[in-house]
Amino acid sequence: MSDLLTLVQWLSPAFPVGSFAYSHGMEQAIAAGDVTSADDLAAWLEDILRLGAGRSDAILLACALRGEAEDRLAAVARALAASRERWEETMAQGRAFAEAITGATGTPMDPLPYPVAVGVAARRLDLPPAQVAAQYLHAVASNLVSAAVRFVPLGQAEGQRVLAGLHATVAEIADQAAKARVDDITAFAPRADLAAMRHETMDVRIFRT
Amino acid sequence: MYHDSVTVPQMQRARGRAAAGFALRGGRVRLTELHQSGSAKAMLPRVHAATPEVVFLNTAGGLTGGDRMAYALEVGAGARVTATTQAAERAYAASGGVAELDVAIAAGPGAEVAWLPQETILFDRSALARRTSATLAGDARLVMAETLVLGRAAMGETVATLSLADRREVTRDGAPVLLEPLAIDSAALARRGGAAVLGGARAMATVALVAPGAEDALGRVRAALTDPAVEAAASGWDGKCVVRMLAPDGFPLRRLVARVIETLTPGPLPRVWQM
Repeated sequence: MSDLLTLVQWLSPAFPVGSFAYSHGMEQAIAAGDVTSADDLAAWLEDILRLGAGRSDAILLACALRGEAEDRLAAVARALAASRERWEETMAQGRAFAEAITGATGTPMDPLPYPVAVGVAARRLDLPPAQVAAQYLHAVASNLVSAAVRFVPLGQAEGQRVLAGLHATVAEIADQAAKARVDDITAFAPRADLAAMRHETMDVRIFRT
Repeated sequence: MYHDSVTVPQMQRARGRAAAGFALRGGRVRLTELHQSGSAKAMLPRVHAATPEVVFLNTAGGLTGGDRMAYALEVGAGARVTATTQAAERAYAASGGVAELDVAIAAGPGAEVAWLPQETILFDRSALARRTSATLAGDARLVMAETLVLGRAAMGETVATLSLADRREVTRDGAPVLLEPLAIDSAALARRGGAAVLGGARAMATVALVAPGAEDALGRVRAALTDPAVEAAASGWDGKCVVRMLAPDGFPLRRLVARVIETLTPGPLPRVWQM
């Protein structure tokens, strides 16, 4: 139980990673009219989880958790980043996560891309890899739902229904990721990548990505 | 005689490998290697130009399950070479197996390589595994463009069943610098209408400049992205300038890809890209 609570703490919005500042390109999608309803949000997030950074990051996390060399995984994460802000988003959160772990545990941790950092830190927890990956994906989805509730905007209850509706997808992708290797990482979310790039030139931006 | 023809005839599978190598000798770029076998050819229409051009060709006229094709290009230190393909690559319906296409590019320090294949058209029930790898050394400069078209809109073609693995990877001195492991299976294709996937698009392209200081190209690349028929955006970071584009069909995309290539490469476009 103690290990599970530790993981929940690390992935909670109270852990000082600053995730609230990142929308993973969704701010642009909202501004462009691609995400205007709870149904749009559910579809956008399911595609990100299945075909975009959700699955890729879950695999990177699972590989790190399994003990694969983190410098190689960090290099892969860097090469996979679809745009400048995508790279900044994963690196800034990973750096803040490592600093917070260092502060909370007293064991120094080097900055790494966010999913790799979580995987490395979770090596000390006695938890199944699929569970760690699922908690991570849930935290990512929850953060984006929270952003959408504020800026689409949507009702709080609508947002929570969208998140609950993604539970099965989160579990399925986490199970896949727990068994996957780095070479199994694939992607097919070109319009989300385009949104991440277009975000760079938005006139008014609340989010960093 | 048909009465004993119970054995399934062995389908004719295409095999081919084409490789070209160049090096800088006495201030000029020289051809140092040329290999062609099976249905792969490498043509050299501008071998004596300042920037030699290699045009790869699949004489089998398309790819289908079981085909194995390989193109290789090696460019030595300080040499500048542009490579393209003679025609759009067509991945036809596969009755069994997967077509494999392997593209290997190597560039020495100071080399400038442009890998500018024409678009790949994916037909319904096609199965293609393509791996494009570029191995850069030192400060080598690479421009690469990849365009995929899911059936041709003008022909009324719809793709519903597909198995595509299209892995693009660029390394510099052994470390990965650009990794685009695109994969589309039928389940992913069923999600194509999603705003995060293709929206209404059926053609997609990525053009990337990978070079020290590539970020500096961002301003002029963005200035070229003015075609209202194409959704396009660019980003520059980490020794890369990457442009992503989506369009309802292949033609407007091809026009914009050509324009972006022009902004990233010195000299004229390869003839096959001129419109």
